[in-house]
Amino acid sequence: MSTPTTAPAGAPAGATAGRPGATHRVTFARVLRSEWIKFWSLRSTVWTLASTVVVMAAVSYLAVFFTAREAFDPVTKPEDVALLVALLRDPSLVLTGADLAKLVVAVLGVLIVTGEYSTGMIRSTLTAVPRRLPALWAKALVLTAVTAITAAVAVVLSWVVALPTLHAHDAALDLADPQTRRILLGGVLYLVAVCLLAFAVGAIVRLSAGALAAVLGLLLVVEVMFRTIPADFFRNVSPFLPGTAGHQLLATQAGIEQARATSSAPVLDPWTGYGVMLAWVAVLLAVAAVLLRRRDA
Amino acid sequence: MITAENLTKTYGPKTAVDGISFTVEPGKVTGFLGPNGAGKSTTMRMIVGLDRPTAGIVTVNGRPYARHRSPLTEVGALLEAKAVHTGRSATNHLRAVAATHGLGRGRVEEVIEMTGLQTVAGKRVGGFSLGMGQRLGIAAALLGDPRTLILDEPVNGLDPEGVLWVRTLMRELAGQGRTIFLSSHLMSEMALTADHILVIGRGRIIADASVADIIARSSGTTVLVRSPHAAQLIELLRGPDVTCTAMEPGAVEVAGTTAQVIGEAAAAAGLVLHELAPRTGTLEDSYMSLTADAVEYHSSPAASPMASAAPSKEQAR
Repeated sequence: MSTPTTAPAGAPAGATAGRPGATHRVTFARVLRSEWIKFWSLRSTVWTLASTVVVMAAVSYLAVFFTAREAFDPVTKPEDVALLVALLRDPSLVLTGADLAKLVVAVLGVLIVTGEYSTGMIRSTLTAVPRRLPALWAKALVLTAVTAITAAVAVVLSWVVALPTLHAHDAALDLADPQTRRILLGGVLYLVAVCLLAFAVGAIVRLSAGALAAVLGLLLVVEVMFRTIPADFFRNVSPFLPGTAGHQLLATQAGIEQARATSSAPVLDPWTGYGVMLAWVAVLLAVAAVLLRRRDA
Repeated sequence: MITAENLTKTYGPKTAVDGISFTVEPGKVTGFLGPNGAGKSTTMRMIVGLDRPTAGIVTVNGRPYARHRSPLTEVGALLEAKAVHTGRSATNHLRAVAATHGLGRGRVEEVIEMTGLQTVAGKRVGGFSLGMGQRLGIAAALLGDPRTLILDEPVNGLDPEGVLWVRTLMRELAGQGRTIFLSSHLMSEMALTADHILVIGRGRIIADASVADIIARSSGTTVLVRSPHAAQLIELLRGPDVTCTAMEPGAVEVAGTTAQVIGEAAAAAGLVLHELAPRTGTLEDSYMSLTADAVEYHSSPAASPMASAAPSKEQAR
């Protein structure tokens, strides 16, 4: 370390060019810039984004590859072949990896906020932005933008790596088809909503372990439990749970019709389902905002 | 200028800060002194709006901290060394904080240089020593070139050179007319750095005076006398203004009179003196006597001879 004893002479009030003054007000654009710098200056976030893309494309490729191999395997029974070919033509097969990628973005959403609490960074953040809410919104906005772009890259990559296999079996996605476009866009929107849901829970719970347990427990255990327990209460509530509702955006209309025909429980339309998920996100973010204003940091 | 009025903070049934009022004046270094758990950190956290007061109000330069449009140019605060994400480099941490106020890279480089962090600025904060963490915290506090600085235990973990640097910097900043408010449990440090001292104990202000006043007020000058005839000497000196405290067999601490009077009295009575030593009270002594009733965690006398001195003095009176 160099000798700091010599430094103070050139200290603050020396009215140099960089001297802060009245022009240095806190504005939302500046808070946004700060959150942007914060986001990209952590290695863990960059790695999380990269793994989202890799995990999603890899799982999607495996799903497409093995479905195709099974469908065109001579030993497969004829009645199964029809089913497998239909599966192969379903645009959501290309998004199989989204189910794993959602866990990665959920972890990102949680840690981006709980990491500030566990390290004490939150005190620097809230001292610089004592009105507090701009920091929360800026962070959510940066997270939304970055997750959206990452998810879009992941969806495109999943489609690209599956392309040769699908093409070989005459099952290439028809991008002119509105439903295909809705499902591909849905993959992006779903991941963004999962990430924001996790972010809101992280902001409410503030502890990494607790928030991760809550989010992953909800997505992986609670929702599955509601879906599988054969009692009316669980069946009727299940479609309105955030992950289940939002996932409708990735379902084909044919799949939805089929579900309606076989089940007495409500089956939500794609955009209705996504709307329900966004409502969850909005409510949780509102709770997070109120708590951030009220609680001691 | 920091002004607190009836500032109170309770956590459940426990009162951390109990209706304190004080003013921290510009152009001076004001020390905030108190034992652990006395409410120093809680008070500082309330000043910058991290904790919400249960009652009362505290303003900085006339407004509550959160009402300032450009808070970092009003107040720079070092509250705990670890208010930094461990995965980020020092430079990136400072850039992120600076960005909220539109302060550029130039100012970040300036504070890095001022705090002597050039060689480690690119490294991740997780690997920093306590001292480097403190320097980074001070760098962040200086970013906005604030009119008021609030530092909680700034010399904690610094090497002697760093301690000297902080002391010099604080004096210099106060000399420029800024308000400097720093807490410490190191009395010696306060004696060297502060002009004015607020002593807090159990959430209440015990003393609010200049360093010189505090020393004079609570301990005054005492005289240590060693003599084989200590008991007789005590009888001889006893008077309304004189306090004699037996320190150990053959040693007495006398307050309220002078070495000259004691020496003459002993000579007149033909008593032998082995030692006659006037002692000016230190800030440390006065701090101990001020906070003797206010410390939350007493150590047993055997474990801490220094702390035991205060209660035994009380008894002798």
